Amino acid sequence: MLRILLINDTAKKVGRLKSALTEAGFEVIDESGLVIDLPKRVEAVRPDVILIDTESPSRDVMEQVVLVTRDQPRPIVMFTDEHDPGVMRQAIKSGVSAYIVEGIYAQRLQPILDVAMARFESDQDLRAQLHARDQQLAERKRIETAKGLLMKMKSCNEEEAYTLMRRQAMSRQQKLIQVAEQIIAMSELLG
Amino acid sequence: MTDSLNSPLAWINGSDAPELNSIDVGFMALTDSASLIVAATQGFAQPYGLNINLRRQPSWSALRDKLVNQELHAAHSLYGLIYAAQLGIGGPATDMAVLMGLNQNGQSINLSSALKNESVVTPEALELRTHQSETKLTFAQTLPTGNHAMWLYYWLASQGIHPLQDVDSVVVPPAQMVDHLQAQRIDGFCVGEPWGARAVSQNLGFTLATSQTIWPDHPEKVLGCSREFVQQYPNTARALVMAVLDASRFIEQSLDNRRSTAQMLSGADYVNAPVEDIEARLLGEYSDGLGNHWQDHHALSFHRKGQVNMPYLSDGMWFMTQFRRWGLLREDPDYLAVARQVQQLALYRQAAEALDISVPSDAMRSSQLIDGKVWDGSDPAGYARSFTLHALADCAPVAADH
Repeated sequence: MLRILLINDTAKKVGRLKSALTEAGFEVIDESGLVIDLPKRVEAVRPDVILIDTESPSRDVMEQVVLVTRDQPRPIVMFTDEHDPGVMRQAIKSGVSAYIVEGIYAQRLQPILDVAMARFESDQDLRAQLHARDQQLAERKRIETAKGLLMKMKSCNEEEAYTLMRRQAMSRQQKLIQVAEQIIAMSELLG
Repeated sequence: MTDSLNSPLAWINGSDAPELNSIDVGFMALTDSASLIVAATQGFAQPYGLNINLRRQPSWSALRDKLVNQELHAAHSLYGLIYAAQLGIGGPATDMAVLMGLNQNGQSINLSSALKNESVVTPEALELRTHQSETKLTFAQTLPTGNHAMWLYYWLASQGIHPLQDVDSVVVPPAQMVDHLQAQRIDGFCVGEPWGARAVSQNLGFTLATSQTIWPDHPEKVLGCSREFVQQYPNTARALVMAVLDASRFIEQSLDNRRSTAQMLSGADYVNAPVEDIEARLLGEYSDGLGNHWQDHHALSFHRKGQVNMPYLSDGMWFMTQFRRWGLLREDPDYLAVARQVQQLALYRQAAEALDISVPSDAMRSSQLIDGKVWDGSDPAGYARSFTLHALADCAPVAADH
């Protein structure tokens, strides 16, 4: 059973989504108005998916979506009356997995959630790969920097510098990147 | 796995960059996992844009299952594990691949101090003990189809002891061998280092034979993966082989490099054993626990200018001949055809040549084993049938995993 966090950003006290979800047999574990710290709320109630019901997504809503995507990534489905393609693009860019304009029908909820979940998973994979690649590139640069510093300090060639760094790392049961960081820090200290 | 978007792009661009930036590689807590651990932690894969995430496994059977299910992209593996998975012994048959050899030599057969106290300290005394005593001795190996079972069986048989009739065999994960010996659940074991050296240093046992006395420069661990992995991600596989080859060469470049490798291995995340137990035998310095000390000329080796790393067809075939000999295979497989599929010679050649490491032109090699027999891969079916002690298919097969 999907654990749903429902955010009601409409003027109505009981949103139209709640009844549609109940009718379709979903369990809403938490419902609240637009909160200031959505990531914290997500961390507390641990939903599988977040549904946002909003007449028109404001900047505040978008900001919350960005924060969730960064800190507590979850599939986010936005139901809205806003037709403006610019707003839609902005919402998708913020991290919304599905943007549904008008008409909430109980029988359509399941496929909408399925698509949102699939979209979210593939986005997460891509993000993880990109993150790994960025980190790898950054590490490689740091190692290169440390190697250069060591070559200068020890007046040795590239291969000797690598060997020295690796031996030092291994005899302390560390990774090469850790020793590289130590060399850079030491060199900054000694100016 | 997180790769859907990268592989087609790499292909479209005609690039030989790895299709994956990050792979999970399994290993067991053994000294001979060194080249993989050094490659992963000391920046050897980074130049290829590859990140190797090390995943230590609790047992060979766990490692095998994850390799077959592709929860691990590749792993420090036993030759026997890869070929048993290929042939469907002890599990479903899955097409497997050997990317390169990781090491030669460096395993040992060790007996308990209790046997030492009974003066069972030579092969002859052990042979007498097994044939004259009413109680059977229990020997541990690490996987029913693994290298250690094959070394133990081969060695026992060469001393006139039938490994399936005269003694009992049990499976114990490498890192637990010494505890099992201490608890007197086993009388001896065959395993990779440092666990033999550890038994000696703890005065719990002694080394009766090293694996290199069975077969000098024998094939041992390999870098293994499923065939699907190497077919789907050939550039990733090649980058991995290059990184590990480079690390193997680095380890053997100097005594200091070997020493610091021993220190790295002793870490809690890797082998998790005292550095003294790892270092001596990694440097070829042996003490057997009976007062003998020697510098071993066929000690654990990782590279030797590539001689260690070549995935010889005859090396892979040998393990199949032993499966046949001990009844794990009821019929002769097409030894050569299976080895040709499993041993990734072409990929290895590309990787080695890119690093200026020479590749032997012959995919077979000839060796003389402890019983005087010569193995050169030329007549595998005849070789499998040529032993005095055996359990060829007419006998009951050996018990599978438990």
